[in-house]
Amino acid sequence: MKTKISLLSAAILTASLALTPVVSQAALPHSVNGQSVPSLAPMLEKTTPAVVSVAVSGTQVSKQQVPEMFRYFFGPNAPQEQVQERPFRGLGSGVIIDAKKGYIVTNNHVINGADDIEVGLSDGREVKAKLIGADAESDIALLKIDAKNLTAIKQTDTDAIRVGDFAVAIGNPFGLGQTVTSGIVSALGRSGLGIEMLENFIQTDAAINSGNSGGALVNLNGELIGINTAIVAPTGGNVGIGFAIPANMVNNLVQQIIEHGEVRRGVLGVSGRDLDNELAKAFGLDSQHGAFVNEVVADSAADAAGIKAGDVIVAVNGKSIKSFQELRAKVGTMGAGAKVSFQLIRDGDKETVKATLGESDHVEKASGEVHPMLEGATLQDTDDGIKIIEVTSGSPAARSGLAKGDIITGINRKNIKDLKTLKSVLKGSEGAVALKIKRGKTALYLVLR
Amino acid sequence: MNFKSSFLYIAKAVVFGLVMAAIFLTVTAYLNGGNFSSGFNNSTHRNDGLSFSTAVRRAAPAVVNIYSISIDKSRPINSGSLQELGSGVIMSKDGYIITNYHVVQQADEIIVALQDGRRFTSEVVGSDSETDLAVLKIEGDNLPLIPINLNHPALVGDVVLAIGNPYNIGQTITQGIISATGRSGLSSGYLDFLQTDAAINAGNSGGALVDTNGDLIGINTAAFTVNKQDGNNGISGISFAIPIKLAHSIMGKLIKNGRVIRGAIGFTGEAITPVIAQILNLPDLKGVAVTAIEPNGPAAKAQLKPRDVIIKYNNEIIPGTNLLMDRVAETKPGKQATLTILRNGKQQQLHVIVGEKKAAK
Repeated sequence: MKTKISLLSAAILTASLALTPVVSQAALPHSVNGQSVPSLAPMLEKTTPAVVSVAVSGTQVSKQQVPEMFRYFFGPNAPQEQVQERPFRGLGSGVIIDAKKGYIVTNNHVINGADDIEVGLSDGREVKAKLIGADAESDIALLKIDAKNLTAIKQTDTDAIRVGDFAVAIGNPFGLGQTVTSGIVSALGRSGLGIEMLENFIQTDAAINSGNSGGALVNLNGELIGINTAIVAPTGGNVGIGFAIPANMVNNLVQQIIEHGEVRRGVLGVSGRDLDNELAKAFGLDSQHGAFVNEVVADSAADAAGIKAGDVIVAVNGKSIKSFQELRAKVGTMGAGAKVSFQLIRDGDKETVKATLGESDHVEKASGEVHPMLEGATLQDTDDGIKIIEVTSGSPAARSGLAKGDIITGINRKNIKDLKTLKSVLKGSEGAVALKIKRGKTALYLVLR
Repeated sequence: MNFKSSFLYIAKAVVFGLVMAAIFLTVTAYLNGGNFSSGFNNSTHRNDGLSFSTAVRRAAPAVVNIYSISIDKSRPINSGSLQELGSGVIMSKDGYIITNYHVVQQADEIIVALQDGRRFTSEVVGSDSETDLAVLKIEGDNLPLIPINLNHPALVGDVVLAIGNPYNIGQTITQGIISATGRSGLSSGYLDFLQTDAAINAGNSGGALVDTNGDLIGINTAAFTVNKQDGNNGISGISFAIPIKLAHSIMGKLIKNGRVIRGAIGFTGEAITPVIAQILNLPDLKGVAVTAIEPNGPAAKAQLKPRDVIIKYNNEIIPGTNLLMDRVAETKPGKQATLTILRNGKQQQLHVIVGEKKAAK
């Protein structure tokens, strides 16, 4: 009898025990890690000291052409340009990524052109910062401060983020002081916005405003998922569309800046476009997203890895990509020498190839940006000069008379050795330029208009 | 003996307890594995857990981008076309899509782009300017559908996600709460709408407002904004969506008739305020006071007069203007309706043949 009672009571006890967690879970759906009232405060207490304000000052030099009608008054010897120097101040945010070494990440556009950078820590300290390096194309800059007792932000693998995850922006909007706003991840791999040269943004609806630039976007664990960089602002302020550079991309860039003082952009050596519906149909592909390879540059990393024109790159290091821009941004921020695996579709079959990225300045497709008449030429630094390794027929470069195998050795009357100098000389020049070219054993001049 | 029996007694209890514990662990593990959440969705494969990604995965593929192209006929040929941008929601397997009327209003060509890259040209099945809804149809296989739960009304404070294509930057999910709710009726006006603080911008129009399960609860409409000026009102945090129940019933009518047929009896009225009640010597504030009669309209023919107070419509007590407007709109034109009115303190009945409401342009 006693046994039966004890068995019964044990049964009731276990049954009620078994039921309680289910009931409580169903009754309290809005819980964060077991806490019934959700609040971000515990996470933020640990995270916000890693976000700093960045105040810059400098002198902006702006050149203005003297308008035609005034030149008459000043005579022919008057200066054609008016140089104005205006002092400027700017405000932004930054994130401490290494507490011991005092490394702080921010946006390039926050510190661009600044003579003086001052970092404001959340405990009230103000410290002068040194610029270690910056990359305009991806809009990332690395600063260093000399201070003790710093808090670094926690890191995580941002490839694991999903649309719908909570996101919290920490920064210094309008110079108000540290501000925390919350939202979710609205989209991933956002590109084609024309904000930066290399775009692969995390989009969020957490309020981001001017001054938030360079600040942190963190997840609910307080781990850095992105550096807040830009917004769509038809009214001037936030409308719930903000963009952050993924932390993985930032870390790749920071690593390069720490090592070399600059970003050594990795180059794959392909040109192409987004895979779209028509293209997928024409090639009989199931997939609708990816980067379609139009052309592979000879002797490039892609060539060595066996990537061919007509391939569709669908994933980089196991992470799927949607567009050619995303491929560009990922490869462009990985750094020269990085070993990368590419998943691609060739003739309907999936394949994986491994490539070691080349360095940016060695092989380059000359675009209209270098010089309009160089468009269509693929240039490569060699010991003799800048070699033209490819000319697209019918392109402006071909029409200018450039041919495959030509080596550019000078411009106007100046000797040049590498692409960097060529670019900088062409940038400052106006009107026609004369290229000194070695073709076989003869030297000749070509005039680009 | 004594020792043995007490040992047995303890051993039995322990063994039984262990067995029950094992069952308990299995059962709870099984239950936790199932989807329990109603507020937030806990992910099973990541321990930091809180995310709306499950809801996004359920709903987002069915939200499409809509590009409507209209050729400006007042301009010379080849001077370019106007393009309107919006979003839409795939509602059924046979390809019916709900969007906003203003998105496809003057379209000569409508292109529907799915998130998987497919593009379709589409025709307008029907549209209703009053609720700003339109239904399109596309022909395609394996179309992603939005999950709908018509029996789950949105409540103020519910967490919601807006899905659309703002400024054509690509599919975007924004999050907020329901800030206010309205009724679900056939008449139109701000009162009918769900109000949310989820960011909704130009291009979100016609897109989905879903709950945290991914179930559709409303159709976002960026056209209705507070103090709208040139599309830029500078206000964020106040956006509107058409509740799914209303949108769903309008969709049914549009598929059936190509338009929404609303009844009208040709009068304007107003709610009974204490002042009106005193002037007209009314017992309470229920009913609708008639202020004007459309000449030669159904109400005029039925001898309805200003200062009459409508207290019942087809024997249903009318508490206020909204319900009466709904009931009249829902009555089929041509049908006879009975109005119970108070005139000079006396109750009487009028019979009115309901006409059709002209579409407001």
